[in-house]
Amino acid sequence: MRKTQKRRLTQLLCCIGLVLLAFFADRFPFHVTEEEELHTTLTQFFSVEHLRRMVPLAIILLIAGAGIFLVIRIRMHMLLSDPVKRKTARMRCPHSGGHVTIPERSAFHTIRWSCMIAFSLLTIFGGILLGIKVRGFSLPVLACPTNMDQLFESSCYFLAHIPVLLEEYTPAGIALFAVSTMGSAALLGRIICGFLCPMGLIQDLMHLIRRKTRAEGVFMEEKAYTWLLPVKWVMVLLMIGLVFAGGEFCYFCPALATSPVLAGMQVSLYLSAFMMIFVLIGSFFKRRIWCNICPLGYLIGLFHHVSPFRLKKDTTACTECGACYEACPMGIKIIYTEREKTDVTDINCILCGECIRRCPEDNALAMTFAGKRFYTASREKVVSGYSLAIGTASGKKPCTYKMPENEIAEKYKKREKQ
Amino acid sequence: MNRRKERFSAKQTRTSRKYLNRIRELGQMPENLEPFLSVLDDVFVKESLPGALQGKTLVGTYCVMVPQELVYAAGAVPVKLCSGNYVGFSIGDDLVPRDACPLVKAVAGFKEMGTMPIYQNCSIMAIPITCDCKKKLVEILEDQYKVYPMQVPALKEDADIRQYIEELYLFIQELEGVTHREVTWESLAESLELTGYAQRELSSFIKRKKRFPYLIRGTHALAVMNAASWLPQNILAEYLHNLNRELAEREKNGILAVPRKQPRILLTGSPLIFPNMKIPLLIEEMGGFLAADETCMGERGLSDPAVVVDESFDGMMRALANRAIRPCSCPTFADNKERIYRIKQMIRDYQIQGVIYHVLRGCLVYDFEYNMLEDELGKMGIPVIRMETDYNEEDIEQLRIRIEAFIELIKLRGED
Repeated sequence: MRKTQKRRLTQLLCCIGLVLLAFFADRFPFHVTEEEELHTTLTQFFSVEHLRRMVPLAIILLIAGAGIFLVIRIRMHMLLSDPVKRKTARMRCPHSGGHVTIPERSAFHTIRWSCMIAFSLLTIFGGILLGIKVRGFSLPVLACPTNMDQLFESSCYFLAHIPVLLEEYTPAGIALFAVSTMGSAALLGRIICGFLCPMGLIQDLMHLIRRKTRAEGVFMEEKAYTWLLPVKWVMVLLMIGLVFAGGEFCYFCPALATSPVLAGMQVSLYLSAFMMIFVLIGSFFKRRIWCNICPLGYLIGLFHHVSPFRLKKDTTACTECGACYEACPMGIKIIYTEREKTDVTDINCILCGECIRRCPEDNALAMTFAGKRFYTASREKVVSGYSLAIGTASGKKPCTYKMPENEIAEKYKKREKQ
Repeated sequence: MNRRKERFSAKQTRTSRKYLNRIRELGQMPENLEPFLSVLDDVFVKESLPGALQGKTLVGTYCVMVPQELVYAAGAVPVKLCSGNYVGFSIGDDLVPRDACPLVKAVAGFKEMGTMPIYQNCSIMAIPITCDCKKKLVEILEDQYKVYPMQVPALKEDADIRQYIEELYLFIQELEGVTHREVTWESLAESLELTGYAQRELSSFIKRKKRFPYLIRGTHALAVMNAASWLPQNILAEYLHNLNRELAEREKNGILAVPRKQPRILLTGSPLIFPNMKIPLLIEEMGGFLAADETCMGERGLSDPAVVVDESFDGMMRALANRAIRPCSCPTFADNKERIYRIKQMIRDYQIQGVIYHVLRGCLVYDFEYNMLEDELGKMGIPVIRMETDYNEEDIEQLRIRIEAFIELIKLRGED
């Protein structure tokens, strides 16, 4: 009983802290300019001025890098004080290279990454490069709309500034905003988070860097995610309600520190820069940490019952091995504990497909669009990366298996002779 | 005492040879099964170490919950010591309580006699604390061998997995003390690759069996899985590769192991360990076809791959812990409904017509689950029969009659 009370109390304190931080976001100046410049031109792109405007971003990256380094050192120190793990501490990082087989990248993931990269480039530079600016049509992604030159509008600005929307827009404009936002949320669902959102790309990149450095990540258990639930509600509340209380959500939102700055605009950064540093450090250790508290993502998630993109499960094929849960950046546990429903699309599911990629049971998990399967789990895909275990003792990357059968037979023979 | 040992040895060899011959005589045996059988021959008939294990540090393990990868990473080779020996059982019968399971009795008998080199050569024995008998096995073996009892959770919650990972770190420490080699990131990655490749060959073996149900007799498949206990993973992969090639050829030419009309039977329940192969052999000798088995020395023990999500050291350890605990459908887990689902899936995959539930006398946990399974299978209209036996040949005629009747029943149902 006392334990749950303590849990509740920390939860409450966190939420209050978050509210206070958001409300007083403008008291944390990171980089303040007198004259804000929210437009850019193609010629300005290659100027020194553009580089100068990127300086805040470079500082953010530097601080984040230092933070990551510090966290790694602290964790190493903690490891060394652990009586059992101390012995393995030194041997934990690779010294002579080496190779671990991870289920190979399938077409699905290539498409996902290309989508993320292409869309992020489009949202940030698209308006300038293509010269097209779609106005009125809003898509619920966290590509900061302060960047006035992006390809289309992002719903988050008006969601955070409802009075402005009501004041400035005609009823038709408001209707268009609502329909386009809700329509795309219903049609695409959180595939927006997994495939389109630039914040997602930034976090996935940080995750990729960590994996390449073999640094150890943080595995969050389901308990931690349920703990985060009230925080999510508070975030939604802040996004929509802060403007009525006289606050400014954009000063708090980390997206402000990327898109406009990258596009070479002059903006004042308040708490959002610090939030960005937190997101960078956090997503290095815990994949998609921001998505777990993102208010916009949560709102899109509310449409998960109607979205035609679905995650399906064959409940008898599942062996409850938990590989999907282990791989899920959103910590969805029901995906492997579910034994009755065939539809396991969760409000938190960003449809990134990591679970399907890791699922070793044929057809156990699949992603569907309007009932049609387009990405299915397969044992063969999971184990196909494992290569012939010859000469691995040398620490070299062993030869891959992708060769004809007779060649493999020859290799075996050769080894026998030795 | 020496005379007794000799007598034991001679008797043990005789039984093992008999069962090995019966496996060979089943007919339509793939040629590439012979290497697997010769391993069993080395261990039980010749009572020697198989060539592949000579000069290696051996680590004995008793359940599938000991991650083999860790043993390889420490520079040793794991062998599964669970015993199905009738002669060992008869000695052990006097050493442990009457109601103990025959598996423990057989192990106790082997320990008493001390004639099997594979037991004597183990540098350490890792015993996961799963069922009650395994728990007491620690006490039985302690005075003669270096024993490492391993805490295994009875639930599969997140906290249990976390605790099991801690246990694995302790196990690494113990292994390093035995082999005097360090477990490093590289060695762990390498051993994952090693077992992963064997896993890959095994997956294609199982997949082919599913796709083409009459390709290989279940008893032969069981012999493969049993021999895998005594084989280093690279050799296992090689043998499996050859076997797979032969089976692919069979599939291409449409060669069947048995005629198509034979009833397809699934065997599940207590472990089936060589030479205790009387039930699978009887099924096949009585005109049934053992399509698959759901036992821990058979397909279950080897079929789940370790799925690495994160390449860091901790990530690999997590993958190993997850693989060892979460998909394991051992009835020693408090909530084991996933076994029912697995059996249902196997019934679908192998088009099973009847299920034989094997219970070793004293193997309570498996016996407990029979009723639940019977209910579920009753709903599906699949006949199931419970067969309780011991490690001896006294009930063989009785079993024969029951199995024959069961097979007749399935045939009759098929005609309706």
